[in-house]
Amino acid sequence: MLKGADIVLKCLRAEGVELVFGYPGGAIMPLYDALEGSGVRHILTRHEQGAVFAAEGYARVTGQVGVAMATSGPGATNLVTGIADAKMDSVPLVCITGQVRSALIGTDAFQETDVFGVTLSLTKWSRLVRTLDEIPEAIAEGFYWARSGRPGPVVIDIPTDMLKAKKEFSGPVKFTPHARPADAKADGGFAETGITEKIVALLQQSAKPVALVGAGAKLSGAIPELRRLLDDLNIPTFATVHGLGAVPPEAPYYLGMVGMHGTRAANTALNETDLLMVFGARLDDRVTGEPTRFAPHAKIVHFEIDPAQLDRVRPCEVPVIGNLADTIPAFHAELRKIPTHSASSGQASRKNSETWGTQVPDFSSWRAVACGAERAELDPRGLAQPTIRFLDELFSRLPQNSVVIADVGQHQMWAAQRYRSSSPRGFITSGGLGAMGFALPAAVGVQLAKPETCVLCVSGDGGFQMNIQELATVRRLGLPVKMVIIDNKYLGMVRQWQQLFYQRNYAETDLSDNPDFVEIAKAYKIHSFRLNEDAMREFPVSTETGDEIDRFLQSQEPELLVFDCAPEANVFPMVPAGAALSEMLLEEEPTQ
Amino acid sequence: MQTFRIRYRNTQGTLMRILNAASRRALDLPVVQAEPAEQDHQVTLALEVNQKQAGQLYREWYGIADVVHVGSGSAHAGVWPAAHPPAGVPIEDSRAAARA
Repeated sequence: MLKGADIVLKCLRAEGVELVFGYPGGAIMPLYDALEGSGVRHILTRHEQGAVFAAEGYARVTGQVGVAMATSGPGATNLVTGIADAKMDSVPLVCITGQVRSALIGTDAFQETDVFGVTLSLTKWSRLVRTLDEIPEAIAEGFYWARSGRPGPVVIDIPTDMLKAKKEFSGPVKFTPHARPADAKADGGFAETGITEKIVALLQQSAKPVALVGAGAKLSGAIPELRRLLDDLNIPTFATVHGLGAVPPEAPYYLGMVGMHGTRAANTALNETDLLMVFGARLDDRVTGEPTRFAPHAKIVHFEIDPAQLDRVRPCEVPVIGNLADTIPAFHAELRKIPTHSASSGQASRKNSETWGTQVPDFSSWRAVACGAERAELDPRGLAQPTIRFLDELFSRLPQNSVVIADVGQHQMWAAQRYRSSSPRGFITSGGLGAMGFALPAAVGVQLAKPETCVLCVSGDGGFQMNIQELATVRRLGLPVKMVIIDNKYLGMVRQWQQLFYQRNYAETDLSDNPDFVEIAKAYKIHSFRLNEDAMREFPVSTETGDEIDRFLQSQEPELLVFDCAPEANVFPMVPAGAALSEMLLEEEPTQ
Repeated sequence: MQTFRIRYRNTQGTLMRILNAASRRALDLPVVQAEPAEQDHQVTLALEVNQKQAGQLYREWYGIADVVHVGSGSAHAGVWPAAHPPAGVPIEDSRAAARA
């Protein structure tokens, strides 16, 4: 006979779970009571939102399911932002919540919340467990849905009496989904569908084909296949913020990040293209700008695992539905069978415009726009120059395979613009939901998943305070997370919008009364120091400053570096909300 | 007004997820009829939607874990003849629907 709590933990182990993040409370106490000796390590955060973001960090960097635990009521509702974040960014996540005992459900009992109902629209699947017998199948099915297709969040809500009750346990179960009639159709092979021929025909008609890479390429594990295909296609390529690292920045056809704060080259290419090949991106408004004027001349070929992401902003001429790990190699193999293509090594064939019936775009000029004079492009007034240079210094000194976790705001976009790694899971951020406070707890999860890896957490002064309590988790575990606060004493991105679009009415964005972050870190017994932006005005930076940054990055202890940023530094280029990508601002225009 | 018939397994939350796909778009739900249908359940909805919304709903419903089949009961049924519209819809129909 085993208690329900023991069964939960055995089922978690059967799913390969070694690490869970959580915060205890009344309804989930039986599960905590059973942790010792279960083989599941629990990481205590200092807030349930910290737990769910940490689980997300773990999942994002490993590709495995992250697990968060919380009690009923406020514990469960504190998970909600993380659940929404996981939904938006396709993160496999299982949240296990304690619920009041079965007899009290629906009575507005102490710490009772309908977490099943609250999270219904945010989860891929959820279950309020009603009997002890349901626990193994609920966990097996929950993990299945969290991992399958487009990954996402799952909630399993277990009344406390189910966790305490005992029953015979015959072992974990496996979940097999019911087949649907249309699934077989969707799984049809490339050769039978004629998709390759359609795409090749579009390529042949295209004068300016481009490729856009999103998170789906990374989540599918199809990066090597994607890179081989892109090398062969050799067409201008750019990435969403979640696609960063999928394409090596040194690739001759790579134009950088696209979208609201993307490079001028990428946005120009996207605006001018007549054929857009999308690999695992949902094309949200931060990428498209005004949807009705997005890629106005383009036909779209969309490789996507989730049909619900198709045709949201624009119709696509050729949808290619399926896991990119399957569809990309299948398409590439078919492409290579086409005689005009397989006759040579891809690029040579591609450059023979007669072969494809297209004019190859002038990569060199687009590339020059992307890489030349880019600092000036990013910072016409010079206010952001020291911060951009600081991030360049940090990133250039990072050990290989480091992981950068960015919070949300101006620093996030500067970091995304300056990130230069080809590590597919090397840049992590809350891209879809844009949840401030994400970075520090996510860095905890990343560092626990990758104990030997240099983990750099870049936050703003606003976001850092949203989960500042997780400094205690960092200290307790002795995690060598390198934390950077870009401190401009404002909610910088909101202030930037206020400056540009609200006549400089800086309503409630002034954070000049920030606490002294260096002293706060010291109170947590974390080594901390401040770097003034003057240290970045000389180029190259002084040996002393460089050595200090190196020491910071190589430390085996947690460290906090506060970098003073000009309060009114702005992120450019910028596509204003509601504008087309072609209307990006390259500098500050007079406020209206 | 367009009629949709969605076959689903009557597991926790599945009907609510189906309805939520409409309510999150602020669509009125003047007709909702859920009933057993052979070994599954079926909900019939009448919604005032354009073709673009219909396409989005169709795909979103089909993405719900325990939805078995999504069908249309209106004159537009021919536009979405298969249960998996992105793969089954002719290109021109898909473009027309998305632009509507």
